[in-house]
Amino acid sequence: MNQLDWIVLIVTLSGIIAYGIYKSRTSHNLDGYFLSNRSLPWGLVLLSIMGTQASAITFLSAPGQAYTEGMGFVQYYFGLPIAMVVICIFFVPVYKRLKVYTAYEYLETRFDNKTRTLTSFLFLLQRGLSTGLSVLAPSIILSSLLGWDIYWTNIFMGGLLITYTITGGAKAVAYTQQLQLIIIFTGMFLAAYMVIQMLPGGIGFIDALKVSGKLGKLDVISTGITDKGVDWSGKYNLLTGIIGGFFLSLSYFGTDQSQVGRYLTARSLKQSRMGLIMNGFVKIPMQFFILLIGILVFTFYQFNKAPVFFNAKLVKKIENSSKRDSFYTLQENYDAVTLQKQAVIPQLVTAMDAKDKPVVNEKTIELRSLQNRADSMRTKVKAWVSSKEINGDSKDTDYIFLRFVVDHLPVGLVGLLIAIIFLASWGSIAAAINSLASCTMVDFHRRFTKKNETAESEYRLSKWYTLGWGVFCIIVAMFTYDIGNSLIEAVNILGSLFYGVILGVFVVALFMKRIKNGNAVFWAAVIAELIVLTVYILTKKGIFSMGFLWLNPIGVFGVIFFTLLLNQLWKKKKLPVVQEL
Amino acid sequence: MQEHDNDNAPLFKKWSYWYVLVIAFLVLLIILFSLFTKKFA
Repeated sequence: MNQLDWIVLIVTLSGIIAYGIYKSRTSHNLDGYFLSNRSLPWGLVLLSIMGTQASAITFLSAPGQAYTEGMGFVQYYFGLPIAMVVICIFFVPVYKRLKVYTAYEYLETRFDNKTRTLTSFLFLLQRGLSTGLSVLAPSIILSSLLGWDIYWTNIFMGGLLITYTITGGAKAVAYTQQLQLIIIFTGMFLAAYMVIQMLPGGIGFIDALKVSGKLGKLDVISTGITDKGVDWSGKYNLLTGIIGGFFLSLSYFGTDQSQVGRYLTARSLKQSRMGLIMNGFVKIPMQFFILLIGILVFTFYQFNKAPVFFNAKLVKKIENSSKRDSFYTLQENYDAVTLQKQAVIPQLVTAMDAKDKPVVNEKTIELRSLQNRADSMRTKVKAWVSSKEINGDSKDTDYIFLRFVVDHLPVGLVGLLIAIIFLASWGSIAAAINSLASCTMVDFHRRFTKKNETAESEYRLSKWYTLGWGVFCIIVAMFTYDIGNSLIEAVNILGSLFYGVILGVFVVALFMKRIKNGNAVFWAAVIAELIVLTVYILTKKGIFSMGFLWLNPIGVFGVIFFTLLLNQLWKKKKLPVVQEL
Repeated sequence: MQEHDNDNAPLFKKWSYWYVLVIAFLVLLIILFSLFTKKFA
């Protein structure tokens, strides 16, 4: 990195920390610390919701995903607007009416303390681990690309944000997220503009789309229904996006404290609802735009030498292995294919402009054949990477965008885009740590301690819990760094393992008013969680194939089914319902 | 400071209009994406 890049990076990050600390003044009680005195307007709530969901992975992984697999990933978000509507109608009014600090408090009002404790515990387990992985995932990528020490990168990634998260709680989190998103989108727009500018003369934005479309990268919509019926193993299609994505979003925004804590900071029910509704409007276009940057980078690499494998650290490992010579030959062949593509693409664009169908068809076939050759070369390198000798992760999707940034963007912009990775991480990690501390304080400390604490001592204790969770997440990041890049997917899978069950408990609480037996719900949740874990293990062992998003509906319907069953059994046996003391 | 804000929907008479608008926007996006896929794929 150039000196100017370092200056941009340091100034941006220091600016955010200073701004966070400046905005830290809040009243010394739990309402002030965890809910910003329930005083924020919807605009700030919206940005806080967006900043919490959009982690560094959103900005690193999505363009890479579009580069390798096309735009279909956007379908993953189709269930989100529907979930926003359901949350506005059913969840937010309850939380607001009861004036809860955490979503799980409601479950004690509705059922009993052990159901509240179980769901809060599942949240702490899932969110604590996944936040640790959220610290680690961008650190691995940055340390691999820039040669930074992984331990120090983890500490900067997960540690610096703790300063303002501890001092200012939810208020500092919301205000810094607002500024972070402004910087992030400015940087992403600049990056998109620069890619278009770097395309060769005569190739404009629409031409770039046409070329990538001919190479199958612009298949945004796929129905998920094949000749053999429904494709249950498909990760991203209309069906999994709407159904699986709906359950995942409903669980994430409706029951995950890291999100519930954001819209509880709103000054009224109206402001919470507006924040969520606006999120329903902007999330899909925003994701589409980020994916489109990946498509532009893909087009850029049709005219410029691309690395055959984007993870430079693993490339170095190949260069030091027995595959060294074969790798160099393969990279040369890969460059030769790029040169051939450079000759074909202008002919294709000219033919498309002239609407000369026979030539378009001929050149498309030629281009696709070249792309297939290039893809097969990448597959070959990936096989070497995952061989016993290299023992690396063959997925390089998350390295593509940043590698492009470092190799091709002008000085200064590189520093800004690396700052964006930090800021995106900080936004989601700060909200997660704040919510982990609120659950620990409200659902465990306050609930189980017999000592009467003053508001001031609860406030101080909450700061210690915030620090504790911050340190915990960094420790998780430190101890799991050997897993490799596959942990990025693990963050999503980890969510799906627990979200369905937590949501199931909330669905029973909100929609099945007849069920009052806390024991039935508690044991149903335990059984459903075991089923979800079993299904996941069976799919991992290859006994059957199923996309991980389906774990969410399994968890939800598992809880509903077993609650009904156990409730009936309880009634028939007339077993006494254990009352909480 | 906690402000008292009425909970009526802004711009529309009812919140349900906002909900319909969000879903209609989703449908519109899916249609536009389908057209986009058809145009460029």
